[in-house]
Amino acid sequence: MLKIWSMKQQQQQQQKEAAASGDGSVKKKVTAAQIRVQKDLTELSLPSTMKTHFPNPDDLLHFNVTIEPDEGLYQGGKFSFSFTINNSFPHEPPKVKCTQKIYHPNIDLEGNVCLNILREDWKPVLNLNAVLVGLQYLFLEPNAADPLNKEAASDLQHNRENFRRNVRNSMNGGYVGHEKFERVVKA
Amino acid sequence: MKVTINRWNAVSTWHWDHAQEELCGICRVAFEGTCPTCKYPGDDCPLIIGDCKHAFHMHCLLKWLTTESSKGLCPMCRRKFKTATD
Repeated sequence: MLKIWSMKQQQQQQQKEAAASGDGSVKKKVTAAQIRVQKDLTELSLPSTMKTHFPNPDDLLHFNVTIEPDEGLYQGGKFSFSFTINNSFPHEPPKVKCTQKIYHPNIDLEGNVCLNILREDWKPVLNLNAVLVGLQYLFLEPNAADPLNKEAASDLQHNRENFRRNVRNSMNGGYVGHEKFERVVKA
Repeated sequence: MKVTINRWNAVSTWHWDHAQEELCGICRVAFEGTCPTCKYPGDDCPLIIGDCKHAFHMHCLLKWLTTESSKGLCPMCRRKFKTATD
């Protein structure tokens, strides 16, 4: 028979001993954030346009994502993002930055991303899949209503043809106004 | 034929009386399991159910409600989270 109460006492006893001896052999505690990220990653179902990269496979809390939109104005580009997840996840959203300097109404020149679910609309029942899909959506439907790059947003709103040209120029590593952008077209 | 029972073991299973979902939306662990901070399921790590009928591990939900960004809303439907009264 499973003696759950004696097991509980036994474990508590072991914990006490481990703490008292302080020999550092205590198992490193897996944090709630790590457990949740692990679950989110196994449930990830990404389209072929998105890929994750883990620079350190033992560290699930830091990884990179590339998005290669297959339609829309940003088609043909390859965009890189870094994800940093702190121990308050899922109570706090992951921190997402674009690692390239790109021309996009919702991404500023430092790579900060304006996506509602990464900010005010985050809630812990959202998972990483939702964030990634949201991120890809920014490239399919850039949103001029909530800009971080005001010039780009104004171009998108008032002169769509000009905006399209600027996107192509910037993706090729060219200038838009006085700003030079990073070449992000697929090799 | 007469049978004499010398020894018997009783076995039982249990689950929370809340059928809508199976996993806590916050930690994604089964309701019958524990939130990430608890070791033992059951009364040590109870559920909390809102007026909106959404259920979570109590510890998971309380932690969410202490964050400023939660604004006291249910993580599922964003209605004001009020514990259901029955």
